[in-house]
Amino acid sequence: MALAFILSPLLVIGAGALLLMLAEAFGPKHNRTAGLALGCTIVFGAGFAFSVGAWLYGVEDVAEKELIVPWLVIDRFSIFFDGLLCLGGAIAALLAGGYLREHEMERGEFYSLLLFSTVGAMMVASAGDALIVFLGLETMSLGAYALTAFRRTSPRSAEGALKYFLLGSFAAALLLYGFALLYGATGHTDLAGIGEAVRAGGPHKTMIIVALVLVLTGLVFKVSAVPFHMWAPDAYEGAPTPATTYMAAVVKAGAFAMLLRVMLTCFTEKGLMSWSAGWPPVLAWIAVLTMTVANLVAGQQESVKRMLAYSSIAHAGYLLVGVVAAARSMPEATSSVLFYLLTYTVSTAGAFGALILCGRKGAEAVTYEDLAGIGRRHPAAALAFSLFLVSLAGIPPTAGFFGKWFVFRAAMDSGFYLLTIIAFVNSVIGAYYYLRVLVFMYMREPAAGAPVATPMKSGYVAAALILSAVLVLILGIVPSQSLDVAIKAASIFGPPGG
Amino acid sequence: MKPFLDLFSQNDFSLIAVVLLMPLLGAFVNGVFGRRLGKQAVRMMALSAVGVSFAAAIATFIALDSAVDAAHTAHGEAAHTKLSWLAWEWMRVSGPNGSKIAIDLKFSVDALSGVMMLVVTGVGFLIHVYASEYMREDKGYWRFFCYLNLFIFSMLVLILGDSLPVLFVGWEGVGLCSYLLIGFWYGKLPNAAAGKKAFIANRVGDFGLIVAMFLLVVYCGALDWDGIQRHANDLVVTSDRPGPIHLWPIGGGKFEDYVIAGIRIPLHNLQPDKPWTITAATAVGLMLFLGATGKSAQIPLYVWLPDAMAGPTPVSALIHAATMVTAGIYLVCRLSFVFVLSPAAMIVVAFTGAATALLAATIAVVQNDIKKVLAYSTVSQLGFMVLGVGVGAFTAGFFHVFTHAFFKACLFLGAGSVIHAMHARIHDEERSQDMRNMGGLRRYMPLTYGTFLASTLCIIGFPGTSGFFSKDEILARVLIETPTGVKLANGAAPWQWPSWAPWLLWGMGVVAATLTAFYMMRLVFQTFWGDFRGWTIGRPSQLSKSHHDDHGHAEDEDAEDGDHHHHDDLSQPGPPPHESPRSMTIPLLILAAAAIVAGIFNPAAIKLVVSTFSFLPLEHWLDPVFSDAARGITLADHHTAHTRELVSTFGAFTAFAAGSGLAYWVYVKEKGKPAREMMLKVPRLYKLALEKWRVDEAYDKTVVSGVDALADTAASVDQGIIDFVLARLTALVVAATGTVLRVIQNGVVHVYAAVMVVGVLALGWFFVQPHADFTVVEQDGDYTLQAGPGPGYEFRWYPDATKEPQTKDFSETDNLKVHIADGKSQTVKLEVKNAFGRVGSKAFTITRPAQPAGAAQIREQ
Repeated sequence: MALAFILSPLLVIGAGALLLMLAEAFGPKHNRTAGLALGCTIVFGAGFAFSVGAWLYGVEDVAEKELIVPWLVIDRFSIFFDGLLCLGGAIAALLAGGYLREHEMERGEFYSLLLFSTVGAMMVASAGDALIVFLGLETMSLGAYALTAFRRTSPRSAEGALKYFLLGSFAAALLLYGFALLYGATGHTDLAGIGEAVRAGGPHKTMIIVALVLVLTGLVFKVSAVPFHMWAPDAYEGAPTPATTYMAAVVKAGAFAMLLRVMLTCFTEKGLMSWSAGWPPVLAWIAVLTMTVANLVAGQQESVKRMLAYSSIAHAGYLLVGVVAAARSMPEATSSVLFYLLTYTVSTAGAFGALILCGRKGAEAVTYEDLAGIGRRHPAAALAFSLFLVSLAGIPPTAGFFGKWFVFRAAMDSGFYLLTIIAFVNSVIGAYYYLRVLVFMYMREPAAGAPVATPMKSGYVAAALILSAVLVLILGIVPSQSLDVAIKAASIFGPPGG
Repeated sequence: MKPFLDLFSQNDFSLIAVVLLMPLLGAFVNGVFGRRLGKQAVRMMALSAVGVSFAAAIATFIALDSAVDAAHTAHGEAAHTKLSWLAWEWMRVSGPNGSKIAIDLKFSVDALSGVMMLVVTGVGFLIHVYASEYMREDKGYWRFFCYLNLFIFSMLVLILGDSLPVLFVGWEGVGLCSYLLIGFWYGKLPNAAAGKKAFIANRVGDFGLIVAMFLLVVYCGALDWDGIQRHANDLVVTSDRPGPIHLWPIGGGKFEDYVIAGIRIPLHNLQPDKPWTITAATAVGLMLFLGATGKSAQIPLYVWLPDAMAGPTPVSALIHAATMVTAGIYLVCRLSFVFVLSPAAMIVVAFTGAATALLAATIAVVQNDIKKVLAYSTVSQLGFMVLGVGVGAFTAGFFHVFTHAFFKACLFLGAGSVIHAMHARIHDEERSQDMRNMGGLRRYMPLTYGTFLASTLCIIGFPGTSGFFSKDEILARVLIETPTGVKLANGAAPWQWPSWAPWLLWGMGVVAATLTAFYMMRLVFQTFWGDFRGWTIGRPSQLSKSHHDDHGHAEDEDAEDGDHHHHDDLSQPGPPPHESPRSMTIPLLILAAAAIVAGIFNPAAIKLVVSTFSFLPLEHWLDPVFSDAARGITLADHHTAHTRELVSTFGAFTAFAAGSGLAYWVYVKEKGKPAREMMLKVPRLYKLALEKWRVDEAYDKTVVSGVDALADTAASVDQGIIDFVLARLTALVVAATGTVLRVIQNGVVHVYAAVMVVGVLALGWFFVQPHADFTVVEQDGDYTLQAGPGPGYEFRWYPDATKEPQTKDFSETDNLKVHIADGKSQTVKLEVKNAFGRVGSKAFTITRPAQPAGAAQIREQ
């Protein structure tokens, strides 16, 4: 029973996905999609509630969890991610409820895909075996590919999805090849076993290094780090905005869970963790490239949605800074990454949500020009958008400030001063394009006759925005409790080298 | 009352939340919905918010009282007791030496803050009632009460905050509200300017407060009251780091002489040979006091307070007389245990207070505007309070805060009532406040007159009133108490006060008290006695041409006030001035009564009152708060103290009698003739005093113009260099790079895949490439070289790069020890072989300096 309870978030989402498919198939003929969005949100909410329950119940003393080890490892880390992924999913589902109806493309499979993909993400977060990692990854990704292609009439949607699919398969193949090599070198598929064998050393050092390169490539592809990010802007822009929200929030969080779990379990051998020749400097370079390239290109975008896509890449860069720091001071820096993911999820989901709110069918908010003067015409929509952008830029008293603060502090505490300075400079560049939206919203008037965005009216979207806004403010003003949760979740990783 | 303590525990006394949050709720409702709610609803909201807050404050105070009693019985002596409420833990930051500093949003009530809390909510409530009538005609009614409620909230945060950062939030909050309310009629330029002036003068003080916080973090590692108190002794440490503070007058340490063309320029004379060394306690004390001078309007930052009277009169009463301006004194009392560590800081505090009391009193003597007189009298009284806390008489200083809150609020509200009546006749801001147009008002406004007179008697120290006890207490304490500080950590005594200082301070205080009695009675006589002089004011013939020019823009501003009955017929003398409505006079009566009786909280008065009253006098009540500070104060021995107390009481009584007697003679007996003669005899002195000793002008010429020049320079640098070169250039580079990078993102999926392949290859290359790296640690000429690990790395060391390696083969040995003699250098080389069999190397030249203890200098080849 206890086992069912600690697995309940995963089970609830899975069962909910199946039920939702049935509900659509046997729903009323004239309106098949009625209530699906609400149902999907409730399922996500239930998943979140069960995560909280499992967290409060505690997993340390549940003996039955050994039954599913090593395939699934249920610990504080995975339950934290269960809750985080459900939260992101719930916001995406609410946004979809408003967006899909407004743009007349509401079909039931969207919600089922959302739920199934989240099941994959949750599997990834709690996977203790390379095969389960791969299985979860593919479940998550296939859902995301389909969601990207959901605007069937739009060529951009199909193009983005195809690119995502092709490159994603490429990366998945590399990852799988890496796992195969690891199995060859160590004889293990479970992550803990691989880690032990790698630490013990042995004759297959070169094989392990090649495997590391391949696995690392597969992992950073999913977090859309430069130079493996090329798919992201196209896919994010082509996808319907709720799907983009989902990818930016949930898929990214799942990918980071995987990155942390795999890197900090498998590749903790002293030589591999070395700051001169191991994976931390590689990841540091990737982080620097990711932040810099994404921020520079984001500043050059005309489409706000594409700007937000690049912003999400840039945030992956900041998160990677935290991961690098985690290689040196594991639990502290890991907790900062987890906290950052939390703040980033609510901020970015809110920002995409505000973008959805600002447009209606035929009068979408796409470019900066579309948003000109919206602060005067529709103050509530503009205020919501401003709040999330300010949070993404990392300005107090919003969540984004403390997210950045903890990650940067972790990096400084671990001695990565240069890296922190680069991250600082990048967040300054980032502020430019976030604040540019505010400039257009509040200080520009649309050119005469130019098309302007008209905000939509939807209770779903409003609910999503209120939820995110409240969380953004709470995390920005009272961060200590959530931080304590993140610290507890990260404590499963022992000190480095151990 | 036990029920409250049973309901809320002492460490989680959430009733404080009600006290705090009700005004915030009122501000929110009035601010957001006030425009639509209508005046009645706004009034209801504002009054009930503060009223409930006051009721909760009383309940809290009763609970505190029983907690104090409980502690008293438990410990056998009065102990410092407080009720606290933790709103939330905000953050933990690393302090010095690995300590953690908790910055929590925590509030607490103890004897000191409890009294302040009652004063702020109680007087605040009365003033709200008064203002709801006074501001009735104003269009910005809702805005006014939003600000006023927000002020009460901020003030409560300031008082109840349990740490400096929380206090600072309130400190800034009251500053903001003060700014908003001074400039409430922002359509008029002088009001807006006065608001800005107040804000800027306060910023200077805030700077001091912030610096003090930084110092406290460094020295005490704490910012909450208990933490600072626990670590207060660390402020007088004499160890090296963080030790006493060395100040060079010009900064930057010693200068070397500069020789140019054979002429030696003795630059070393610019600096003394040794820096001035002060203890950290002195630095913290002075910086905190700089903050206090801003809020409590002391020299040199007092200039904003008189101008602040541009705001509506209830604002002057609440903020600029009764509550906010006492924040500085509250801060000194709150951190009394820090101040007493440094007699040097205390003498600065004491003399600043005495000088302010005297200076402001001299200005008040010649002012004609009724509010200006009261404003300078406030500055002067604040000077008395600061003088009190400066000599270590914290209870006496705080007691004056307490009594002053009542009588000064009453005075201002009385003045407001007078202006209200005058304004109904004259419709001109400036002239309706001019005392030369008043006179004889006691016949028309008996209630206002009675309460005003009662408060005046308090402020001038009429025997038996509250002011008599509080002000005399301060003057007596000046002679009795001397701060002597505590011994420094190395056993030396700190710098001590010269023996003449108390007498000089006392003399300044007595003169200021005499002047106070004079100008306050002058105010009463001119306003309420004699005949009404305002009959002819307001007739067209009286409105001279020049007057019209001066106020040519008055028309449109008046529209801002919503005061539309300005165009009635002024050719007839209007009806006589009328008494104000009841909601204005009732607060006056309550405040006047409170002002008279507040004196009985004083121990000297308690002897006169029947001892069956069972309340604690203020002194015993506050004793536990200041018990820690008492160790730095030396009292005169009992006999001397008694004599000096008598001397002081005599002096103070003389001051009262002489001042008020003189005023009676000048303004009642001689109808102001001696004053006019005096004016003609020394016109320049009179003019100088009337123009407030031209301090504002002096500030304009020196500080303000200096800052202006600096700002101009900074602006031109900003426009010329920062904006033009740095910003444009960087933006150009960023944009150009972005555009180039965007080209790669061309939408062709082959390119994307190719970039990925390049990425994988780069990753692979990094791991195939060997990375030789090592760190060097030195100890007494023995250098330990530690190689950076790598996957499957093997190492070969060359202790001397020119010779053979240490071992022939690569091995797992990842460190090397070499010994290098003094002054010699040696090149060390490391070769690594990675898992792919590739070899890389790195060489260092280590040079050991000649001194034995010098660090290794490493040069990379």
